[in-house]
Amino acid sequence: MEFTMKQPAGSVSIFRKRLRKFRSMKRGYYSFLALAVTYLGSFLLPFLMNSKGLVVRYDGEYYFPISRFYEGRFFGQNGNFGEANYRLLAARLAAENKGDWVLLPLVPYNTTESADDIEENRIRAAYKKGDFSWDSGAKPAEDPAYAGDEDLYQGDDEVGIMGDEAAGLIQAPPYPPSAHHWLGTDNRGRDLLVRLAYGYNVSMTFALLLLATTYAVGIAVGGIIGFYGGKIDLLGQRVIEIWQTIPFLYTVMILSAALSDQMPYRPDLASILQPRFILLIVVMAVFGWMGITYYVRGEFLREKARDYVSAAVACGTRDRTIIFKHILPNALTPIVTFTPFVLVSDIGALVALDYLGFGLSAPTPSWGELMHQALPEHIHDWWLVTAPIAALFVTLLLVVFVGEAVREAFDPKVHSRLR
Amino acid sequence: MTSPLGAHPSATPRAANGPLLEVRDLKVRFPVYGGILRRKVAEVNAVDGVSFALTRGETLGLVGESGCGKSTTGKAVIGLYKATGVDAHMEGQVLLGDGGKEAADLMSLSKDEMRPYRRQVQMIFQDPYSSLNPRLTVGQIVEEPLANFMDFSRKNRQDRVKELLARVGLDAEQSTRYPHEFSGGQRQRIGIARALATNPQVIIADEPVSALDVSVRSQVINLMQDLQEEFGISYLFIAHDLSVVEHISTRVAVMYLGNIVEIGSADAIARRPLHPYTKALMSAAPLPDPERKRPDRIILKGDIPTPMAKPSGCGFRTRCPIAQPSCSEDVPTLVEKDGRLVACPWV
Repeated sequence: MEFTMKQPAGSVSIFRKRLRKFRSMKRGYYSFLALAVTYLGSFLLPFLMNSKGLVVRYDGEYYFPISRFYEGRFFGQNGNFGEANYRLLAARLAAENKGDWVLLPLVPYNTTESADDIEENRIRAAYKKGDFSWDSGAKPAEDPAYAGDEDLYQGDDEVGIMGDEAAGLIQAPPYPPSAHHWLGTDNRGRDLLVRLAYGYNVSMTFALLLLATTYAVGIAVGGIIGFYGGKIDLLGQRVIEIWQTIPFLYTVMILSAALSDQMPYRPDLASILQPRFILLIVVMAVFGWMGITYYVRGEFLREKARDYVSAAVACGTRDRTIIFKHILPNALTPIVTFTPFVLVSDIGALVALDYLGFGLSAPTPSWGELMHQALPEHIHDWWLVTAPIAALFVTLLLVVFVGEAVREAFDPKVHSRLR
Repeated sequence: MTSPLGAHPSATPRAANGPLLEVRDLKVRFPVYGGILRRKVAEVNAVDGVSFALTRGETLGLVGESGCGKSTTGKAVIGLYKATGVDAHMEGQVLLGDGGKEAADLMSLSKDEMRPYRRQVQMIFQDPYSSLNPRLTVGQIVEEPLANFMDFSRKNRQDRVKELLARVGLDAEQSTRYPHEFSGGQRQRIGIARALATNPQVIIADEPVSALDVSVRSQVINLMQDLQEEFGISYLFIAHDLSVVEHISTRVAVMYLGNIVEIGSADAIARRPLHPYTKALMSAAPLPDPERKRPDRIILKGDIPTPMAKPSGCGFRTRCPIAQPSCSEDVPTLVEKDGRLVACPWV
């Protein structure tokens, strides 16, 4: 009888082992899942939070306003030459009860509109009573607030609000949380939840793109000066040191201020394709790639002295392959370990710039801009103060949890490099 | 086929059946920087004028104590210092030729010009742990030189990898495993398979068994000898273990402080060392055969001098039992004596 050793189930690379270890650390792993799911989900925000209806059934026909622009008149909102108000359209079609309907997103507001809730509530109330006069461009006839005030109302929201303000009936935004605005509105009456959610997408995208850019440059530079050493190393280090002494924040602020005129907000583009957004990433990458180079350089200096690199040289492998295929995978520990913390600082940097007003161009949803609104003037409007700070706090906390778990999982002492 | 001396290093015209690899007056110096301005304050003369030749199918053992420059010689021959940007000053010639063809001087080639010649000169490393990239599978490691040099399809390459692994005594099915799943001896076999992949003419073996368990050493040595017979490979076998070198080598070169002090057939040097340093070295070697009479142990006085400040004249004179006043004047040259070359005029 022969004893056979049980073979271990399959070969496992060091990276896989570290991933396994990471997955076994619940807090970090679930934080990672939460961030990944919410971030990927945030690209579906137009279907969840949007003022456009997803599907409209009107006169028996189906329309998909999410991908097309329809004037208000098209759906019978005769006074409305702009885009149809799908919230009111939904209310009207429901009141008419002719089998037409609108499928609205979960939160039927977008990031830029200052919805006039009081007016909309009046119109909804009128619809319920069978008065559809708003759609013909007039005000609802039996509304007492407008009795004898025909001149003021011309179907124009602004004038309506001014009239109400003059009458002392409503106060100026920000409005507190309500059934329509679950987290209230900001100081321009824009839905806070919607702006926070879109701002999450903008912040994370910004941080991830900035991370990718700075890492690409930093790792390439660090790898090259570490691998070639000698004069290249000496020169490279001095250039980096000089570059690092340029005050980063001031430079970004100056460039941002100087270029803001040339780069206006373009309403036809998504937030993450705005020229200012891309400019900020480029500028911050140009002044922010140096951090990782020293770690990569150090790793390369150590790794290139190992025999496997000599072996690759002796095998006739080209430098580029040695740098990226042989050494880089063995130099990943500091790179991976720092990633979450770099992400934290990148998110923080964008919030700081936005807070100071040198960040993204004006209507882009941004957490820093919301904090800027809240802190000096609206410090007593608790929802406007707490919501962006809480959002930032939770996000950064989750990222740090991920970072701690990654650091633990990539501890070189556990699965040492050469065993 | 060849004289026990190999080709004499000073013989300039190369015969048609001349040496495969010839090293002429190789010097490797590492600068030492110091002070605030990081100026060069000294030099380490790691290799100080080494010449030898290697003919087809032979094994030249390179022995000496730690720090005598034997590994440096091997790495300089294969051009590792230039390729990895090590700050070293090198002189001399490394001629790689194939009999009739004109030899190429590897030292004068740039990194890129050198690449095609790498196929013919391969290396086996001392530490089987650090010489295999832990991130690559064994198959990928052995496949790399094939991908670099051989115009094979992917399928052919993988077949060849399996063939090579089987040839060095490993299970071909283990090519998807990672190095950490193998023992030291198995890892050294992987290193040998990698060195064999391109059908090289010369393999530089830098202490290939000194990191291995004694029980595994003989297996690896035997494998290397089998491969030599099968493929006609020449080895430059660098070691400090005299019994291993004696066993595998055709000829032996003894190094001290960056110079070869004695070079000749393994048998002659083992039986009757001439140079006082070789004598001391041989007397320190443990004898596996208790019947054989141990020569009187020669204990050298003092320590090996630093290669930054070598003694004038003969490098060995400060510790030499037979040193003469004139030893400090001229560096002794290798002269033929009793069937080998010795760098000492007093023996």
